[in-house]
Amino acid sequence: MAQEKHRLGLVSLEAPLISNLSVLSNIALIKQYHGRLPVREAEDIAEMLLKKLQLEGISGKRNPVLEEEQRFCVMVLRAVMVENANLIIDRPFKIMPDLDDTRFIRDVLASVDELFRECHIFDYLWNEKRYTGGMIDGA
Amino acid sequence: MPSSAASGLFTMPSQLETAMTEVIEQIGRSGLHAVRSFQDNLAFAVKILTRMFDVRAYNSAVRMVLINQIYFTSVQILPLVLVVAIGFGAIVIGIIGQYLIQLGLFDYFGQLLQGFVVTEIAPFITVLLIALRSSSAVNAEIAVMKVNKELNTLHVFRIDVINYLFLPRIISGILSIVLLSWLFSIIVLISGLIFSALLFNMRMNDYVTLLLASANFSDTIVMLIKCATMGFFIIMIPIRYGMRATDELTSIPVSVLHGMVNVFIAIMVIEVVSLIVTSLIAKLI
Repeated sequence: MAQEKHRLGLVSLEAPLISNLSVLSNIALIKQYHGRLPVREAEDIAEMLLKKLQLEGISGKRNPVLEEEQRFCVMVLRAVMVENANLIIDRPFKIMPDLDDTRFIRDVLASVDELFRECHIFDYLWNEKRYTGGMIDGA
Repeated sequence: MPSSAASGLFTMPSQLETAMTEVIEQIGRSGLHAVRSFQDNLAFAVKILTRMFDVRAYNSAVRMVLINQIYFTSVQILPLVLVVAIGFGAIVIGIIGQYLIQLGLFDYFGQLLQGFVVTEIAPFITVLLIALRSSSAVNAEIAVMKVNKELNTLHVFRIDVINYLFLPRIISGILSIVLLSWLFSIIVLISGLIFSALLFNMRMNDYVTLLLASANFSDTIVMLIKCATMGFFIIMIPIRYGMRATDELTSIPVSVLHGMVNVFIAIMVIEVVSLIVTSLIAKLI
């Protein structure tokens, strides 16, 4: 259980991005702190991940100016920086209320699927219709 | 005890007795609260000090925050410190010199500069400047992070808030006060050199000899310890009060208000303690 806790990569509005850090620093922080990587190395990894999602343009921005989809992507990238991450996505439609279905979420997860072991999405039952063809873990 | 107790009868307490009891209870509650708060602050200070000397606490993330904090606390404030030190040096040295000449005590000019300006006033003004600028900023920053649930983020990702947030800020506070106090003193002494030459026709050689003759090693050590202690507490206290913010935005100004009041109380207490220590050392020597 303790080991699983070490692998927790939470994507949730309950764990927002640190607002006085840039997007790049928010993502790099996990590797700097737990992987004890130098700043440059951790930021290179973060930059590479942002490029994967074609978000390199927002690397210097901070949380308050991000669009909802951008914020979600950055939260996912930060979560997958945890070693062998178990991704927990908490109410993604609360992070991106304008989304109609899970296609965007699936695309984002597919771009970084080699970086996490498992992914669980938790949402309310009334959002079930938005998960077309997908599994919902809880209500 | 009611007076009727002697006869074995208890009467209802009078309004005055009830009011007195309430006042005494209130004093007791306030006293207990103050003691508990002091104990908590002391325990927190010990925890921070222990971490400060733990090499494992420092990684590139912590070092990055430390560098940023040193820049915000020590470098950005430099122009203000320079202007205040030059102005202060000119005014104080002019006034002190004039009075000493009038009283026929100009021989004590060096001692006054060293003992009063360098060891007392320079740290005090530096601490005030940093407390007004950085302590309030740190207090508000931590409170905002608490309200925005950003501290929860650090907890979820197993990032120790003491190591990542508090240590760099406190270390930068200590370094800033120590270094800026020295800088302040040096500038005051240099402006003293210029203004004593202009106002009292004092030669550079005489000025330097006067200062060197009154230099005291123990005073310098006490000043150093005092600056480090002040730097520690004027950042630690705002952090403590920032952490006390609730989930509501309105708790931010309240936490800053309480934090800053306590910072000024701490500055006064440290000043008084350092004066007592200095006088004890002087008596011992």
